[in-house]
Amino acid sequence: MRLINALISDIKFQSKQGFYLVYVIITAMYLIILSLLPENITSIALPLVVYSDPSVLGLFFIGGIIMLEKGQGVIQVLIVSPLTTGEYIVAKVISLTIVSVAAASAITALSFDGALNWAVFLVSVALTSGIFTLCGVVINAGCTTVNQYILKTIPYMLLLVLPCFSILGSNLLYPLTLIPSVAALRLMLGAFSETVWYESAALILYLFMANFLLYKYAVKVFEKKTVYQD
Amino acid sequence: MIFFTHYKNDVRQVFRDPVMGILIFAPFLMIALFKIIFFFLPPFLISRLSFDISPFYQYILSGIIVMISGMMGIVTGFLMIDERDGNISELISVTPLGKSGYLINRLSFAALPSLVYSIAAILFLDFVSVPKLNIVIISILSSIYSAVIGLLIYSGADNKVKGLTFAKGLNSLSLFAFSDLFALAWLTIISWAFPPYWVTMVIKNPQSTPVALIAIAIHLVWLLTLIFRYLKSR
Repeated sequence: MRLINALISDIKFQSKQGFYLVYVIITAMYLIILSLLPENITSIALPLVVYSDPSVLGLFFIGGIIMLEKGQGVIQVLIVSPLTTGEYIVAKVISLTIVSVAAASAITALSFDGALNWAVFLVSVALTSGIFTLCGVVINAGCTTVNQYILKTIPYMLLLVLPCFSILGSNLLYPLTLIPSVAALRLMLGAFSETVWYESAALILYLFMANFLLYKYAVKVFEKKTVYQD
Repeated sequence: MIFFTHYKNDVRQVFRDPVMGILIFAPFLMIALFKIIFFFLPPFLISRLSFDISPFYQYILSGIIVMISGMMGIVTGFLMIDERDGNISELISVTPLGKSGYLINRLSFAALPSLVYSIAAILFLDFVSVPKLNIVIISILSSIYSAVIGLLIYSGADNKVKGLTFAKGLNSLSLFAFSDLFALAWLTIISWAFPPYWVTMVIKNPQSTPVALIAIAIHLVWLLTLIFRYLKSR
């Protein structure tokens, strides 16, 4: 119940801050861009668009959200509130994932009529969003300004995004799939192509595990650096 | 004189803060990264997808300039939001520098680097040949655009999260730099009102004085409207 209340309050907050409105505008923008591309390029560009924007929006917003709530004293209240740190973070991750999934689904449904495994696609967006939002929670620790947060995300983004180019290369680079961002991109591209089911299943399982471990780490870092400010 | 003393101190302060220092210099790295990307990307696209990207170089150059000046504007916008949250802007506004002095001071943080970076992007990327006079015009437009973005974020957002939402939404303005490509009359007409469209137009029409004049006018209308709004507020 506590988690549901926190989730509802986060969704209300995000709606008030204009998240949904801004993603309507961004979705329209992508639809215009994708409509210009020939169909054979859309099937490659679309998963890249979904992966690079709606799926990672959590990383962009979570820093500002936590900093604002810290300034408002919300985080300090966590210490005496029945809401646990884990529930606080899960509510943030789920609420931002909802925006991600909604935007990704709208962009895809309105711009692509080819073969697509919707179940794998939606799971890949949700799991990617979880990973990037949790990374944001970790990156945010110790930041006092948004510019500081933006700067701190750059090396993390490079570490997570550069290995994704390995997908273009030979099969020898397949072990880089151990990096969660590469696994997430592979899963998303797989939803648009005829990937064997056991590869998708293995990637989903792996990303679930990555999310869980990252969640544990994010809670630890968040409690230490943000709540108790060691 | 007061302005320059403050500006000198602020520049010193920015360089003392590694975060601001790196963010101010980040576009240099971005330009270098684009140079590398566009060394490998065109042959890759031709070999894998039989897609020739060279007819779009004018649009890409415009997109890069708009993106860099937008980024400088976003950094300045957040700097001003942080200073507002810490009541620093309020304190400065009662010094001899005043409210307008503070604004000029902060906006020049976005505008001056944008001026330099747009020239660097045109010369270093070397996608398309741009006449010297047009380089000057584009760099002025770019610096005005960065100030416009900074002001839009600052005046539109009353907190950090709204600032991030604004920054995300304002990135969509870059689309107008490419609107001619979509061959949608309604989109082109809407684009006329937005600065990024005119950066592309100046790059595409290097000999056209009316295009250059309209581009400057549109940029100035945005800037002056936002400055007027800022000075009227509070």
